[in-house]
Amino acid sequence: MNQKLDLLQGTLDLLILRTLLGGPAHGHAIAKHIQRTSEDLLQVETGSLYPALHRLEAKGWIEASWALSDKGKRARYYKLKREGRKQLSSERSKWDAFARAMGLILTADERS
Amino acid sequence: MNTNLRKLRWLFARRRRDAELADELAFHLEQEAEERGYDAARRELGNIGLIKEDTRASWGWTWVEQLLQDVRYAARTMRKSLAFTALATLSLALGIGANTAIFSFIDALMMRSLRVGEPEKLVTLNWHASISRMRGSVLHSGSGSTWKEGGGTGSGIFPYAAFELLHKTEVFSNVFGYFWIRSANFYARGQAEATTGELVTGDYFRGLGLVPAAGRFFVADDDRAGAAAVVVLGFDLAHRRFGDVASAVGESVLINNRPYTVAGVASPGFSGLDPAQSPELYIPLHSGEDARSFDDEHYYWLLISARLRPGMTIAQAEAQLGPVFHRWVESTAADDQERAHLPQLVLKNGSKGLDTLRGNFSKPLFVLLGVAASILAIACANIANLLLARATARRREMAVRLSIGAGRWRVIRQLLTESVLLASIGGAAGTLIAIWGVRSLVPLLSSATRPLTLKPDLNSHVLAAAIALSMVTGLLFGLAPALQATRVDVIPALKEVRANDRTRRFTLSHVLVVGQITLSLLLVLGASLFVRTLSKLESVQLGFNRENILLFKLDAAQAGHTTPEIFSFYRDLQTRFGSIPGVLSAGVAQTPLVGEGSWFTPVVPVGKQPNPDQDTRVLMVGPDYLATMRIPLIAGRELDDRDFARSAAVAVVNEKYVKAYFEGRNALGQRIVMNMRPGKAPLEFEIVGVTKDFRYGDLKEELPTIAFVPFNQIPFGRIGEMTYSLRTVGDPLAAVATTREIVRQADARVPVTHITTQATMVEQTMTQEILFARLCSGFAILALAIACVGLYGTMSYTVARRTGEIGIRMALGAPRARVVWMIMRQVAIMGAIGVAIGLPAAWATSRVVKSFLYGIKADDPSSIAAAIGTMAIAVLVAGFAPARRASRIDPVIALRSE
Repeated sequence: MNQKLDLLQGTLDLLILRTLLGGPAHGHAIAKHIQRTSEDLLQVETGSLYPALHRLEAKGWIEASWALSDKGKRARYYKLKREGRKQLSSERSKWDAFARAMGLILTADERS
Repeated sequence: MNTNLRKLRWLFARRRRDAELADELAFHLEQEAEERGYDAARRELGNIGLIKEDTRASWGWTWVEQLLQDVRYAARTMRKSLAFTALATLSLALGIGANTAIFSFIDALMMRSLRVGEPEKLVTLNWHASISRMRGSVLHSGSGSTWKEGGGTGSGIFPYAAFELLHKTEVFSNVFGYFWIRSANFYARGQAEATTGELVTGDYFRGLGLVPAAGRFFVADDDRAGAAAVVVLGFDLAHRRFGDVASAVGESVLINNRPYTVAGVASPGFSGLDPAQSPELYIPLHSGEDARSFDDEHYYWLLISARLRPGMTIAQAEAQLGPVFHRWVESTAADDQERAHLPQLVLKNGSKGLDTLRGNFSKPLFVLLGVAASILAIACANIANLLLARATARRREMAVRLSIGAGRWRVIRQLLTESVLLASIGGAAGTLIAIWGVRSLVPLLSSATRPLTLKPDLNSHVLAAAIALSMVTGLLFGLAPALQATRVDVIPALKEVRANDRTRRFTLSHVLVVGQITLSLLLVLGASLFVRTLSKLESVQLGFNRENILLFKLDAAQAGHTTPEIFSFYRDLQTRFGSIPGVLSAGVAQTPLVGEGSWFTPVVPVGKQPNPDQDTRVLMVGPDYLATMRIPLIAGRELDDRDFARSAAVAVVNEKYVKAYFEGRNALGQRIVMNMRPGKAPLEFEIVGVTKDFRYGDLKEELPTIAFVPFNQIPFGRIGEMTYSLRTVGDPLAAVATTREIVRQADARVPVTHITTQATMVEQTMTQEILFARLCSGFAILALAIACVGLYGTMSYTVARRTGEIGIRMALGAPRARVVWMIMRQVAIMGAIGVAIGLPAAWATSRVVKSFLYGIKADDPSSIAAAIGTMAIAVLVAGFAPARRASRIDPVIALRSE
């Protein structure tokens, strides 16, 4: 499982939104969550994570506030907004359709 | 909506947001460090600056921030190199200023629509004839302007019969004619003033679709012989003289001593159809003009405009009317010669008014615009060059920026901001120059014979043009240097070594220098042509003494004097002017000798047929005119009191006339005849004197044949305005007060007008040449200076870059002279290429300016040689300093610094 996958263009937003569905989190935690849940297949570059977070915030899908972390340090927590949830479900159905289409094509030969 | 507001708030809370971002990233690093250790965490995080930059980009509004940042940075850079900034701004300001000033004239001349209803439906009627002089054509006499176009003649004046013909056709919904009144003595409520007006046909105001500000406009019935005399006043005149314009209606006024009733007042802002004229009153055609003007179908005078019927295009109208007009004009031709070159009808878009003024002024303006554009191009090339040199100096800075993650586009944008800022400052200063330039150009462009009454101003068009020009020039001279500056090899630039610096012989900056040399050559050549034209004109032998002559005009006819009483009125005044202390003698003539054109007609010995190519200029004068003007007599006597007392039919002719008609034989006592128009009684005169040749009329023309006749003989028309010439001992203008007093005592109704001196008048005939010579010389010197600075800069930079190489050459024994030669050769090659491109270009452009030259040809070899010589000297001087510096390079120091 040492193989790392590059994130597909545009999927980072979806991953962030999905992660925040589980509750507010700071940037580092989001990155770790994605990495852990994907069994280390996906690693989020810090250089794309923060621009993405701030972009989503500017779009009004998530909001940020400063709070103390479990270890008592000040951290910037991101929370999903209602617009974000809506966006998540539409993105998600798009992704499902896309994944299904990919699957159908890639397995077409095996089934015939 | 909401998002934009939020973005805006973020923009202002930027500092706080920056700090928060730093905190956020620091927290991330800390978390990561706890898990994997600081070094690994730091490595994983990568370029923090870049992350911050990218994150900030997602906040939006970054371009505004970056712009502000760039402008701040640019301002700092500009402050650091003040000399460069000042030089660049100054040359740009001059370039943009000159272009803006001239553009504002072109705007006023060509781009403003008339303030009338539906101007796009208006057409003006013109004609074109395929011969360049109208003598011997159906146009026997005319009043108005004709111009040369496409090897023939164009004009907008028609006989009244043509107007009646067009009136009957179905093509137009309205046809109307008009004619200028150059001077009108307007008298109302006990006060007289001199103004200008227009004679118009009954349909004039209706055709233009205007609504009166008060009262009514003319109806067709006002414009017929015998109708009650009515006048429509311009808004300004009515407002000035009667206060409330409505109260002007119904007032009785005198115009040139004839009673009129004010029928109405025109709408404010309307002043006729010609941007060059500003009539203040309008009189029906038939109440202001003689019957002769309406009956003579060979007398061309009436300007005609029309409104197209709905759905009709100019081309359709022209196609329909062309044959109609042709048939009519053919019927007026008397012989085959007249039939050979009939005028053809041409319809032009009339939405911007007449184009007589355009015909006169557009070409000089476009030449000036070309000159101004060249100077701006040279300035741009020069700044681009300086920026290129600076880009090299800033290689390290650029390398640092690029290596720490700045995108190339971002750096280019920053450099472009610098150049556009520079151009904007130049543009702002240029606009100030333009305001000043417009004010000083108006009197320079107008001359005594063609007064310019345009009202150019810096309106929104012109300002927009100035701003666009600044932006474009900024991008133009900034782009190439910006591209070059960002194309650096980061590593060697950072190490500050001249790593594999392929010394290309000819770089972009050399191309720019060659371009500057080419354009400068054009300007220098133009300047030398115009300066020589002016000096040729100034050295024209007048044949009379122009110094110490006071000129002024009186029009007794406008004040009610009539023949024959008017003769003694004018004659008595002449005697009284002659006795003013300080006045040596006084003369009177119909027009001044130079500065106002001339009268001409065939004048031939009795029994000879008139030659259509040889007209004689006729001047009606009072006694002692030749003595006053100091025109020398070579035979016989001049016209004196006896001729006037007897009103004898005598004439004085010039030497050229004697040569042309008497083959140089004694002409005294011979009889000549003039005024041979059909239906007119020819007048015979006996020659009593012959003068040396002198100038009467246009200085640029060949010497004319001239005849003087006593003014009480009146060969043509009626006697009206007369011009007095007073030869004084000292300053001619010192006699003005006494003169006015004498006229006031004689008749207070007659105003003294057009007071000037003969010397001024002569100079005014050359205003355009003077303007061209001065402006072009100024611009040529400027261009030369800028090009030399550019060349000097480029060569200095070349020498600096090749210091190492030159050091090696000298260490190996190259003599100094060889080093100088090495650099100068490059200078000479650039100069030669510039000239090689410049000469064909000069040849092409000289055809454009040909019509502005006098006494020299456009391909005048000595002017070309002078221009090339000037250019060569300037180029070599500018190149020599860097070459000399190269030869002083100490090989030891040069090699050590490597």
